[in-house]
Amino acid sequence: MSYPRRRFPLGWFLLLAGAALLAAGSAAISIGDVRIPLPAILKVLGRQIFGLDLTVDPIREGIVWHYRLSRAVVAAAAGGALALCGCVLQALLRNPLAEPYLLGIAAGASTGAVMVIILGVGAGAVSLTLGAFGGAAAAFGLVALLATGTGGGTERIILAGIAGSQLFNAATSFIVTTSASAEQTRGIMFWLLGSLGGIRWPDAGLAVPVVLICGLLCLRRARALDAFAFGEDAAAALGIETGKVRVELFAITAFLTAAMVSLIGAVGFVGLVVPHATRFLVGPGHERLIPATVLAGAVFMVGADVLSRTVVPGQVLPIGVVTALFGAPAFVAILWRSRRTS
Amino acid sequence: MTKYIPVAVGGLSLLMAAGLAFPALAQVGGAAVTIENCGRTLEFDEAPERIVSIGQGTTEILLSLGLADRIAGTATWVSDLPGELAEAGANLPRIAENTPGFEAVVGTRPDMVAVQWINDIGPEQGRVGTFAQFEDFGIPVYVSPAECAKSEFGAASGDGARSEAWSSDLLYREVAELADIGGVPSEGEALIADSREREAAAARDAEALAAEEISVVYWFSSPEIDGEAWLAGGYGAPQWISNVIGLRNVVDSHEEWPLVGWETIADHDPDVIVLGTMKRRNQPADNVALKREFLETDPLTSQMTAVHDGRLVELDAHAMNPTLRAIDGVARLAEAISALGLTR
Amino acid sequence: MTLAARDVSWSAGGRRILNGVSVTAPAGGVLGLVGPNGSGKSSLLRLLGGLRRPDAGDVLLDGRPVSRVRRAELARRLAFVEQHSATEMQLRVRDVVSLGRTPHRGAWGGWTPADEAAVAAALETTGMTGRAGQSWSTLSGGERQRVQVARALAQEPREILLDEPTNHLDIRHQLELLDLLRSLRTTCVIALHDLDHAAAFCDCIAVLDRGRLVTQGLPAGTLTPGLIRDVFAVEATQRYDRHGTLRIDFTVAPPPARHRSLQAHCRSKPEDDRRSGSDSRQETYGHLS
Repeated sequence: MSYPRRRFPLGWFLLLAGAALLAAGSAAISIGDVRIPLPAILKVLGRQIFGLDLTVDPIREGIVWHYRLSRAVVAAAAGGALALCGCVLQALLRNPLAEPYLLGIAAGASTGAVMVIILGVGAGAVSLTLGAFGGAAAAFGLVALLATGTGGGTERIILAGIAGSQLFNAATSFIVTTSASAEQTRGIMFWLLGSLGGIRWPDAGLAVPVVLICGLLCLRRARALDAFAFGEDAAAALGIETGKVRVELFAITAFLTAAMVSLIGAVGFVGLVVPHATRFLVGPGHERLIPATVLAGAVFMVGADVLSRTVVPGQVLPIGVVTALFGAPAFVAILWRSRRTS
Repeated sequence: MTKYIPVAVGGLSLLMAAGLAFPALAQVGGAAVTIENCGRTLEFDEAPERIVSIGQGTTEILLSLGLADRIAGTATWVSDLPGELAEAGANLPRIAENTPGFEAVVGTRPDMVAVQWINDIGPEQGRVGTFAQFEDFGIPVYVSPAECAKSEFGAASGDGARSEAWSSDLLYREVAELADIGGVPSEGEALIADSREREAAAARDAEALAAEEISVVYWFSSPEIDGEAWLAGGYGAPQWISNVIGLRNVVDSHEEWPLVGWETIADHDPDVIVLGTMKRRNQPADNVALKREFLETDPLTSQMTAVHDGRLVELDAHAMNPTLRAIDGVARLAEAISALGLTR
Repeated sequence: MTLAARDVSWSAGGRRILNGVSVTAPAGGVLGLVGPNGSGKSSLLRLLGGLRRPDAGDVLLDGRPVSRVRRAELARRLAFVEQHSATEMQLRVRDVVSLGRTPHRGAWGGWTPADEAAVAAALETTGMTGRAGQSWSTLSGGERQRVQVARALAQEPREILLDEPTNHLDIRHQLELLDLLRSLRTTCVIALHDLDHAAAFCDCIAVLDRGRLVTQGLPAGTLTPGLIRDVFAVEATQRYDRHGTLRIDFTVAPPPARHRSLQAHCRSKPEDDRRSGSDSRQETYGHLS
């Protein structure tokens, strides 16, 4: 795979990706267990968004507005967030395979969230997210420790991530299966493969601001991320406060991952597929890459959700299964290419 | 979809259930009691003295037959015992609250295992073990005929599926067989006669309800509180209860407990939602208070007629399974529904 | 005086790498840092570039301690070229050179005509204008090094620090690069392996040995046969070539007696010749590096 010489203009990319997001979103709110005709859907949207005085069946309105649309919005935010995490981690760690799931950060976040539930510290999505953040930070620490302790190198980070994932997934499974209060912990599959099943508007109220704010914070560091291309010393020599930027961006990715895991569980490979595909189209400059990746991640995730609900009739596949179906081949392709270039 | 052998087994046992309310027990090979069970022939030269009962439904039948002192171990509890059995079952040894381990069961040195769910002990696989594993130890396994009659043992949502509707005849067959095995056939006959009577009385009381069509769903639990729900399918015990009372179960799946999304449930907008109550806390929505809270706070389900108009009825989850309590469930549910004022 | 180290010491992993070293770069000239492997050349460069902080002593930029200068400000003033540059990113030559503008741009600032001019000039100076659109990963080692120099030039620095920039280059590119650096009006500090190159291209030489400064001064006065014997443990002589450039010649032991017969083998069969030729080249290369 060689990179095209001419790059896609960012404006066009954002326009097309925006259109794709609209299309995927429309599919997401039209498809479901219950067939709802288009006019009814449009009426719901007209009433809710533009405050039009239309008569709509409250049940249909509930389905379209409270279930399907909130789900699509959270899917979009989560996709954007996870893709952004992958994009930032790949630049910071200088490893094309870096991604919250493969590095075990999502697994750590799951463990943290489950522990908060079991210990009963605080309540609601915020404390869940904070617990997940603690877990994600611990996973980061563990991976960093393992990777540097075993002699560094890009492959070591991935190996350390595998070890970390296994450890944290085992911890999550242990806590979920041994906990007496099953009603609070959600199923183990949720923490391992993710689910958009129980999403409602309050979840979107957390997901959307988080991804927008973190997106802007990362965009502020776009130049720094570019400068990391040739390593930490090279970045420092270009005037980047590398230590500060590193800590700041690791914290942002840990927080993003934690927030998404506490909402939809651990969904893998989004951070792998999307940034690479986007980089291929708009180039490696992070000023362009970050907004493009967030938008492309949103499209990918909403599309994956639609697929997860339609591939097997009458059954919903875990969202993580669908993303892995796309992610695993991408993983192989990236491995293959890095073999050739090195 | 359907597997060949389970269909044959199910067909066979249904044939027996329909034709032989009190199965004539063939006397073969000199054994005192010989019973066809899930495609196997069980022979008992003498009544078992140490029975392990896996599944509360089976345990309650044994208790009702006065066999409490023969029970060497129990497992898979859902609720407290009903008042009339509380005393008899007060000191039952419990191997496990939920699924027991194979060794724990064998370790009690039973001379028979009676199991309510074929998912726990089955022909090819089971959470506890297989028929063959127990036969290796010379322990006969008796499975509830209601389970043998299923067309699929482990369908998508794990509780199997039926091609033929369940009815109390299958239950009475189980009572009669367990009574024969335990050497107390007359107790069995008495229990069946009593249950039939209660069933008939409940049906008479419910006649007034049948004047108007009332649609209903039965919510047992959910794997995720605000996700999809396990609702009663169209061929299990809740369907039979609905038929007796004259309610319309909006779910017509062959699966015993299909997972149904709230989109679909809300779209059908049933008149009444029956909520399972249980002591079990195995699944996120086992607690009936959480079920109620979800229905009343969720933006979609709170719009449903049944939630809106306060037509949420609680029913012992155990009565939604093919057990003796399903008989009582008819009367309880009929009573609760007439209390809602849906009838004229 | 632009850039100077004052009595700096630095340790890593419990080992003293530099011990009380003082060097001064001549304004607008080229300072060569020479010394055997492990003498502390690269470490001293990193201290001079503010990438590491000395445990003791100061690095002064126009008399101001570098540690007090903000990173971005320092990067507008001083550029650093590493010995080996690698990236996983699929960058074009232009992208790499543009990185040099990073310290000149704010977090949200756009790409200005000044940025564009600096990049164009840097590409022109290094002769890479025609390669601007080419992918970095397709470049040869020498081309990559030149692009990194172009990136450093795009920073519009007054000092450039280079860590063994000629290390992986073939001889032509080595000479071209050193010639390019000498022609700039920028102060250069170059860590060099090759004493002959150091003598020929540097205005000033600092000799390091086991973390200490042996001497600093003009090439002729520092790279003397006696010092080379003491520090590098080889015999060498100084001479001036026909352009008057100082050169260092190394004394090589005379060939063994069988040398002549071995040479005869070189001309046996053409295909063998080719294979053994490439093998021996690789050997030599490995030996040097």
